[in-house]
Amino acid sequence: MSTTTTATTTKLWGGGKSPFDVEYGKLMMWYFLMSDALTFGAFLISYGTIRFSTNGWPDPNKVFKSYPFASEGVNAPLVFVSIMTFILIISSVTMVLAVQAGKEMKKKAVATNLILTIIGGIAFLSCQAWEWNHLHSEGAWWGMNPFLNADGSASSTNFTNYFFTITGFHGFHVLSGVVINIIMLIMTLTDQFEKRGHYLMIEKAGLYWHFVDLVWVFVFTCFYLI
Amino acid sequence: MSHTATHEDHSAEVRKEVTKITIILSVLTIIELILGFYMMGIEAAGTRLLIKGTIVILMLAKAFYIVAYFMHLKHEVRNLIMTVCVPLCIFFWFITAFLIDGNSFRNLRNTYDPHYKEQSSIKVEAKEAKHEEKEAKEEKKGGLKLDATRTTD
Amino acid sequence: MSNEAVLHAHSGAHDGHEDHSHEHHHQSFISKYVFSQDHKMIAKQFLITGMVWAVLGGFMSVLFRLQLGYPDANFPWLETILGKWAKGGHISPEAYYALVTTHGTVLVFFVLTAGLSGTFANFLIPLQIGARDMASPFMNMLSYWFFFAASIVMLSSIFVETGPFSGGWTAYPPLSALGDASPGSKSGMDLWIVSMALFVVSSLLGGLNYIATILNMRTKGMSMTRLPLTIWALFFTAVLGVLSFPVLFSGFILLIFDRNFGTSFYLSDIFINGVGALPNEGGSAILYQHLFWFLGHPEVYIILLPAMGMVSEILSVNSRKPIFGYMAMIGSLFAIAILAFLVWAHHMFVTGLNPFLGSVFVLLTLLIAVPSAIKVFNWLTTLWKGNIRFTPGMLFAIGFVSLFISGGLTGIWLGNSALDIHLHDTYFVIAHFHIVMGVASMFGMFAGIYHWFPKMYGRFMNNTLAYIHFWVTFAGAYMIFWPMHYEGLAGMPRRYYDYSIWESFKQFQDLNQFISLVAMIVFAVQFLFLFNFFYSIFKGRKVTTMNPWEANTLEWTAPIHPGHGNWPGEIPEVYRWAYDYGKDGVDFIPQTTPVGADESVEH
Repeated sequence: MSTTTTATTTKLWGGGKSPFDVEYGKLMMWYFLMSDALTFGAFLISYGTIRFSTNGWPDPNKVFKSYPFASEGVNAPLVFVSIMTFILIISSVTMVLAVQAGKEMKKKAVATNLILTIIGGIAFLSCQAWEWNHLHSEGAWWGMNPFLNADGSASSTNFTNYFFTITGFHGFHVLSGVVINIIMLIMTLTDQFEKRGHYLMIEKAGLYWHFVDLVWVFVFTCFYLI
Repeated sequence: MSHTATHEDHSAEVRKEVTKITIILSVLTIIELILGFYMMGIEAAGTRLLIKGTIVILMLAKAFYIVAYFMHLKHEVRNLIMTVCVPLCIFFWFITAFLIDGNSFRNLRNTYDPHYKEQSSIKVEAKEAKHEEKEAKEEKKGGLKLDATRTTD
Repeated sequence: MSNEAVLHAHSGAHDGHEDHSHEHHHQSFISKYVFSQDHKMIAKQFLITGMVWAVLGGFMSVLFRLQLGYPDANFPWLETILGKWAKGGHISPEAYYALVTTHGTVLVFFVLTAGLSGTFANFLIPLQIGARDMASPFMNMLSYWFFFAASIVMLSSIFVETGPFSGGWTAYPPLSALGDASPGSKSGMDLWIVSMALFVVSSLLGGLNYIATILNMRTKGMSMTRLPLTIWALFFTAVLGVLSFPVLFSGFILLIFDRNFGTSFYLSDIFINGVGALPNEGGSAILYQHLFWFLGHPEVYIILLPAMGMVSEILSVNSRKPIFGYMAMIGSLFAIAILAFLVWAHHMFVTGLNPFLGSVFVLLTLLIAVPSAIKVFNWLTTLWKGNIRFTPGMLFAIGFVSLFISGGLTGIWLGNSALDIHLHDTYFVIAHFHIVMGVASMFGMFAGIYHWFPKMYGRFMNNTLAYIHFWVTFAGAYMIFWPMHYEGLAGMPRRYYDYSIWESFKQFQDLNQFISLVAMIVFAVQFLFLFNFFYSIFKGRKVTTMNPWEANTLEWTAPIHPGHGNWPGEIPEVYRWAYDYGKDGVDFIPQTTPVGADESVEH
């Protein structure tokens, strides 16, 4: 491996090795995430387009204002969703730690952090399930919008249509992330990575998980804040 | 490979970085939330737009920290950074063109469809709206049923 | 440097050549021919599935050309094959639209995307960059089987009682979003969406693989600027696919919700005869068109770029000259790939798109003329004073250049939003895109098949049949599509069922008949090609030398019948670019030849 001491650009691209110094799986994961970014991008941009082409739009603060175990008429906008956001950020942090532990070949730390990440993911999904259920009980669903525009005029159903479609698609990604992490956990506990001599799979799962967090940053801003 | 000593150093460094980024992300989120709360009391369209713009910038900052540090992109080879970031530039035109055309669609409708404009300026009671929605839904269901009978003909 | 070790362990999954020769003995029929993970077999699977679809799609065009050419005639045999869709031997309007729609979908996606780039990306990438196989052979196999599943679903939609989708290959709402809108909008459309969703997955799996393979697994010495242009073209094709198909996917998900769950993303103010006013409000049908064409425009380059790459390679080999302007060729491919993402709304000039936005799209669209012209001139200058060998592959490559010029020039007309008001949705558009994207890419595909057939099957195809195939197809393509320009300029709209009842278009009756006649002849000649192809697989003249075309690229250094792993020994190392033809008086110098001491400087 001493041949790579003078890694000039020409050598990087000269063939016979990865120009990025990464294995193909990670490269593919990155490009898959770019592709997925365009899927989400297309959703959010469609949402923006429809919002721009509509005269009025509901005020998110008047829609998302409750939280579990709250009394009926509670008015606490942004509270519940901030909790969800922090859950996801923290689960992202534990995932980073799992990846790092994997690089250091510390099986126990990997397992612990993966478990924490999975718990975070499940917690987020539970929050989302509660929120959907709550909105549904208020009469909101695909094709049904009980909320008025901010200016008091009647709103089209596209507010709820987009909300449920996009958060649903994101939730689906969280769910698959949780499933992937559970598989990673099982593989870790059964020493599969120890046998391989590296924890690179965890790194790829980590990339996916962070991407899910990244998407939430955008979804959170677009639906709850602005 | 006896890198144990450097590994430990490196590990501590990474942990420090992770803590730092976590704090930054939390602070950014809290600022966003504060702005969100602040915006609730504001009616002026210009100020609201300004705040929304700020929130979007903060959002992009958060995205940067997640991609750069959590997803480790900043520590990758420069070429990989470029191959990931450069293609995403298509988003600029993607967003601009879509939103401009969305906006133009609204203007067209407001100009040439007076009924639409009138409808969207009538204020309705919240309860009534709910009722209407339900009615619309039932109507739709009825329509679907009708359709079902049509296809079996 | 543990990473390096890992890289090796991963990318060199097939490095153990010792094991290689043994592997073959254990392969069962299933693992060798059906669920094969060998890129060469997957390429052949893509190719043959693509051929089946080409025959079906082509046959559909013959059927609707019959209606256009002979609107008053009855063909009893039509009722035999189409049943209630052609009562009394006369194709019904519903069937006509279904045929047009399925013809478009099938040809664009299944033949010219999967059949073309699926075949040649799979076949050529590992062989030309010097890799044992794709980065992930398993995902590669999945890519084919997702495509196969998409094919089955699309095929089944043809046999649905209410017929396949019939609202045009672009599937614009409301026809695609409302089951009540037309017979084809019912379960035929559901199957259409499912099929296309599977297709998107297939192309994503394939595309990720192609990109990762080209970037990560080039052999030693194969720097990016030594890659043959085929690989560059396939690389950009894959990038386009990976970045644009997901947008279509999102558009389809919204469409599924509109169809089934009462949303109104694309729907507003709609009244259906017999159903009444719909409650859907607030959506925008233009949004779907934006999302569709955000894929749709890159898609035409997904179709065209592989053909361009193969043509560049074939022209250079058979002119015995280096490709003219290698770097300019890469640059123009890159420019086309970028511009592909910026121009989608030129398909929508007359939809109510903001005219000022439209003018920006005009500017960006016309910019494409620059890289396209660079490519055309480079091809012509490659041919210039070349020692040309008119092999069938070469003829089709030259035919491609001709068609690309003819069709490309009309693109400059259509790119203008003012002219487009007149030309939009007329036969002018049909002529334009069929020549520049449809037939031209088919020519690229034929060129590729004739040129690489010896590598695929170790035998040659018959030249006489190939020459007949070429000349009839070439002349036929112009005879079919050239007159359509006139019809379009006269304002004849596309997608009409019967022009004979229109006073303004009656005059074209004879011309339409002529076009239909030629279309049938050209379709018939394709069977000559198919016969040639399948006959030559088993009975063709055997290839006796490893490098029958005396080409430089790496695939010709592999054995005549390469096994899984491509090279029996070490992977060849590369010392030069792929286009050292006629250098220093030497006819050709393969890439594996080390640079000699007294050799002149590399390109």
